[in-house]
Amino acid sequence: MDLLFWTALRLSLEVALLASLILLLLGIPLAWLMAFHRFPGKYLLEAVFLLPLVLPPTVLGFYVLLFLGPEGPWLRITGLSWAFRFEGLVFASVLFSLPFALTAYREAFLALDRNLLEVARTLGVPPWKTWGRVVLPLVWPGLLSGTLLAFAHTLGEFGVVLMVGGSIPGKTQMVSIYIYDLVQALRFEEASKAASVLLFLSLAILVAARTLEAKGRAWKSTT
Amino acid sequence: MEVHYLIRKPILLEARFRIRGFTVLLGESGVGKTTLLRALAGLVKAEGKPYGGLPPERRPVGYLPQDLALFPHMTAWENVAFPLRTGQRRQQALALLERVGLLEHAHKRPNQLSGGQRQRVALARALARNPELLLLDEPTSALDPLTKDQVLGELVDLIRREGIPTLAVSHDPILARMADWLVVMGPGTILQEGPPEEVYSAPSQLLVARLLGYENLFPARIEPGGVEVNGIHLRLSLPPWARPGDTAWVGIRAEEVIVVRQDRPPPAENVLEGVLANLHPEGLAYRGVFQGAIRLQVLLPRHVQARLNLRPEQRLQVVLKTHYLHLMPGEAD
Repeated sequence: MDLLFWTALRLSLEVALLASLILLLLGIPLAWLMAFHRFPGKYLLEAVFLLPLVLPPTVLGFYVLLFLGPEGPWLRITGLSWAFRFEGLVFASVLFSLPFALTAYREAFLALDRNLLEVARTLGVPPWKTWGRVVLPLVWPGLLSGTLLAFAHTLGEFGVVLMVGGSIPGKTQMVSIYIYDLVQALRFEEASKAASVLLFLSLAILVAARTLEAKGRAWKSTT
Repeated sequence: MEVHYLIRKPILLEARFRIRGFTVLLGESGVGKTTLLRALAGLVKAEGKPYGGLPPERRPVGYLPQDLALFPHMTAWENVAFPLRTGQRRQQALALLERVGLLEHAHKRPNQLSGGQRQRVALARALARNPELLLLDEPTSALDPLTKDQVLGELVDLIRREGIPTLAVSHDPILARMADWLVVMGPGTILQEGPPEEVYSAPSQLLVARLLGYENLFPARIEPGGVEVNGIHLRLSLPPWARPGDTAWVGIRAEEVIVVRQDRPPPAENVLEGVLANLHPEGLAYRGVFQGAIRLQVLLPRHVQARLNLRPEQRLQVVLKTHYLHLMPGEAD
């Protein structure tokens, strides 16, 4: 396979990895809030976070492009021009995969027995200790599984990154777009090879995520 | 220890009672027992004493919820060591496990322990923070019915040895009998408190009597020297509040309705004539229904049935002894 494929794959992996790490940092407090707290406008907020799941990726990409573009508010506020750049791809990917990560994290937190947290409080233990010794050991399989799903989802995205990044080979051409371009050019043999790499990678990630979910459930059945 | 709590949510509840030694708070489901216990632990918002306004972290209480909430990923000793702050946490945890008799199970996870053992791990974990009050939510619910009495007895002994005042909420009369002090709760309020033998023998009102297993309860009209129930006069010594003409409730336990032996001279008073409507074994005893001027549940120990050999439909006499008849104030339902 040619160099362009490896460059595109590497770009996809980098965007997915960075987006997943940001999702992990952003998603955990948000999911905790959604799982355990009630506040006005909660359902609206949840709906907004879930929106990327139902919007056509091109529509989401279009709005992100407007937001990040030369006339957009992001440039005016921060002075950063992220459209058609790596940063823009990551930004769009975070938004695109947020529902996946958030839903998985929230499920992980909801599966946690609230009694454990309450008893920890009555034992006079500071919150950081409860987080470190009780919450994380019990929910990390769920958190990691959600992050892996978000990673795989980002790896496979097409519409959003095409709108936000274009398809600049070696710069913003991600592997899914690279395959599309090959098919457009009727280069089926190369497209088939590239697609099989992506297929194998995605399958491996999903197997890992399922394994982790089962591990997370194991504690539940023993209490 | 005096408790006076006012809770507004999730249910409106005002409770004022004492905790003396191993205290059992008895009440039906839904009256707010668990809410009151959680309020004492600081997990439900409440006003009052003790500990009013303190967050759970700062209350010197040991709270054992119904499911015990042991940390499933930790061994017994790690669970016990969890609240310990400094020093030789492992040694201290093992010493606590020894106190509850579980040293040999220190390295087992909660799912490898029996219900009674899990309960003692939870107790050791609660003791680790040196509580001045223990709170137990339905301690009988996690136990195997066959060994419940024995396991509970051991737990109560253990708690007595530790000498920490304890409040256990329950709807199980077995636990109530083991108490040093019994508190009976109705919807949103405390109905009666006292030593268990006093509360059992002299419930203050109909609701308490029902909760404590009085099966024979009748509306009565107070007369001089006794009461009138369904047209018959029953002699009993009237308490000071009872005034002739007032209405009240009179109760007697099924096991305290006594069948009169025909080969003996009949008792002088409170003898009722009737028919044994039915009779069937209940464990080692026999349960029947006496139908006369009033309908009475009767519970006969097997030695009595062995002597009398009673059969359904036969005529018989029962006597309601004055000191087993209990009078309570209250209007008819």
